[in-house]
Amino acid sequence: MAKKYLFITPLAVYILDEHGEPIAFYKLYRDSMSREEHVRLLYDMEQGRLSEKILEFIASNIKKEDELVVEDNDLGRFISNNLKDARVESATRGDAILKARENLTSIIEKTVGVKPQEYYSLVHELMLQLTRLKVKEVAEKRDLFVAQAINALDDVNKTINLFASRVREWYSLHFPELDELVEEHEDYFKVVSNIGFRSKMTKERLKELGIKDDVAEKIVKAAQSSMGADLTEFDLEAIRLISDTGLRLYSIRRSLEKYIDEAMYEVAPNIRGLVGSLLGARLIALAGGLDKLAKLPASTIQVLGAEKALFRALRYGAKPPKHGVIFQHPLIHRSPKWQRGKIARALAAKLAIAARIDAFSGEYRADELREDLEKRVEEIKTLYAKPPVKPERAVKAKKGGKKFRGEKR
Amino acid sequence: MIRALRVREHEAFPQVYVVEFEDGSERLATVNMAPGIKVYGEQLVNIGGKEYRIWNPYRSKLAGAILKGLKTNPIKPGIKVLYLGVASGTTPSHVSDILGPSGILYGVEFAPRVMREFIEKVAAYRTNVVPLLADARFPSKYAHIVEAVDVIYADIAQPFQSKYVADNADMFLKKGGWIMMAIKAMSIDVTKAPSETYKREMNELEQRGYKVREALHLEPYDEAHAFVVAQKT
Repeated sequence: MAKKYLFITPLAVYILDEHGEPIAFYKLYRDSMSREEHVRLLYDMEQGRLSEKILEFIASNIKKEDELVVEDNDLGRFISNNLKDARVESATRGDAILKARENLTSIIEKTVGVKPQEYYSLVHELMLQLTRLKVKEVAEKRDLFVAQAINALDDVNKTINLFASRVREWYSLHFPELDELVEEHEDYFKVVSNIGFRSKMTKERLKELGIKDDVAEKIVKAAQSSMGADLTEFDLEAIRLISDTGLRLYSIRRSLEKYIDEAMYEVAPNIRGLVGSLLGARLIALAGGLDKLAKLPASTIQVLGAEKALFRALRYGAKPPKHGVIFQHPLIHRSPKWQRGKIARALAAKLAIAARIDAFSGEYRADELREDLEKRVEEIKTLYAKPPVKPERAVKAKKGGKKFRGEKR
Repeated sequence: MIRALRVREHEAFPQVYVVEFEDGSERLATVNMAPGIKVYGEQLVNIGGKEYRIWNPYRSKLAGAILKGLKTNPIKPGIKVLYLGVASGTTPSHVSDILGPSGILYGVEFAPRVMREFIEKVAAYRTNVVPLLADARFPSKYAHIVEAVDVIYADIAQPFQSKYVADNADMFLKKGGWIMMAIKAMSIDVTKAPSETYKREMNELEQRGYKVREALHLEPYDEAHAFVVAQKT
């Protein structure tokens, strides 16, 4: 009976004797092999799997009475499950293996014929690729989480608006003037939750809550001559229930945004770099996953989120939409109307590329993409600086839309 | 920005440099192996046709240890290092600079998020860096990649740190090779005084057969951190 050691390296698998000398070896690395195949092989080994051929090689080099020492538990189990006769032991303190490990490059040069310098650059490349693959695999499972998170964020935003209008109406029974004076919902919640009675409103307390000087002054003044009804502690408690929840929702919103940002960093760094994490996450959610987004043509990405308008256009011949959710990108909504369609097309094209890099390769190229995009947008801005002239139809009067309050998203 | 005037090699550490600035201040630096590329926003200075990267002791514990008067210095050009806990690559990038093209750094990191940064900023540009997305607690998972090394550098900040470092050293460290370990007391046991934690971790190393040769505190660069150098005998 003899102890033999299984010694695995990136380029070959060895059986060692007790002195750490290789008795036999099996070449993993062949000239005909593609880099991808090689990376796959190393990946499988890490997962505790060996190919048929490697198993055969091991079987043919150990006798029944031999004991095979394997460093990795999972590999040891795999071998003893697949080679019924083998006696396998798992151990990490093998002097024989350490000795071979010290001579690694010379063993490889002798057996596989790869010189040390070449060996190192090969390992560098292989591991770069393998690690990228593994990072990506971890991230892949995350895209659906991000999609849910962005939907949850939308729910939270809707609820904030719902509660805000309820609290504004409710509290206005007591202090109607406040509604006009405090625009931000969060500030309104803060005032109601923390101060409550209008008689307790002082400049100092309002400023503590982050209200601006001149606004605080107006509030105090309005409080003194308010037309509102009186309020008991009993009534205020009930209003506070909703107002406190509103504040809590704001903190949830911030945590969610932070979560989405960090997760997007892993899932889709290029999309994130190009359009930011929230818009990027929304696109992934609309497409139903990063993989699906990556397979969409740019023209579809351009109108994601405007499906209703798109199908109306297709069925009834109405005007097709120029943009879906990507409208939220400042490059689009801050540009004059007649440029938006062109910018949307350029942005969607870059997004399609970014999504494909994120889904299939994982390198970071967003900076170049953004530069290209900015160049193109610059071009649009100079080429189409003036609105196109429409001679046949008179320009329609601008609709006087109601100004939105508070939420700007 | 203050101009850099002169540069000299550190007395005890080959390939570590001291850059003198116009205002008389001095900073550690290494020669950039990937010219033009910053890893963590550090300053790049050009002196005599070479590009140096300023090495911040508040960001890197090894730089802190050198400034605190570290005596043993196993990290030399051309050697092989197993680096546990590379994170996004602040210290590893400088170690890679010191090792140069004939050395090799096996960089282990568990968190995919920071590994991504490590790949993009460090491993992709440095041919002497081999990235390994793996858990340092289970060295057998990367045993098929890593060869025997001269130095194990560990900055893994977690309970039983010494045990895991010793596990790695058993498998990968050459005889006479060195362990360099940063101990963050607060990550190991917040309830105990830092000095107790250091003692316990060093005991663990000794019991596993590694001789502690040197230990120093990293204040003021890092609070409640110790730096330990041990040798495999």
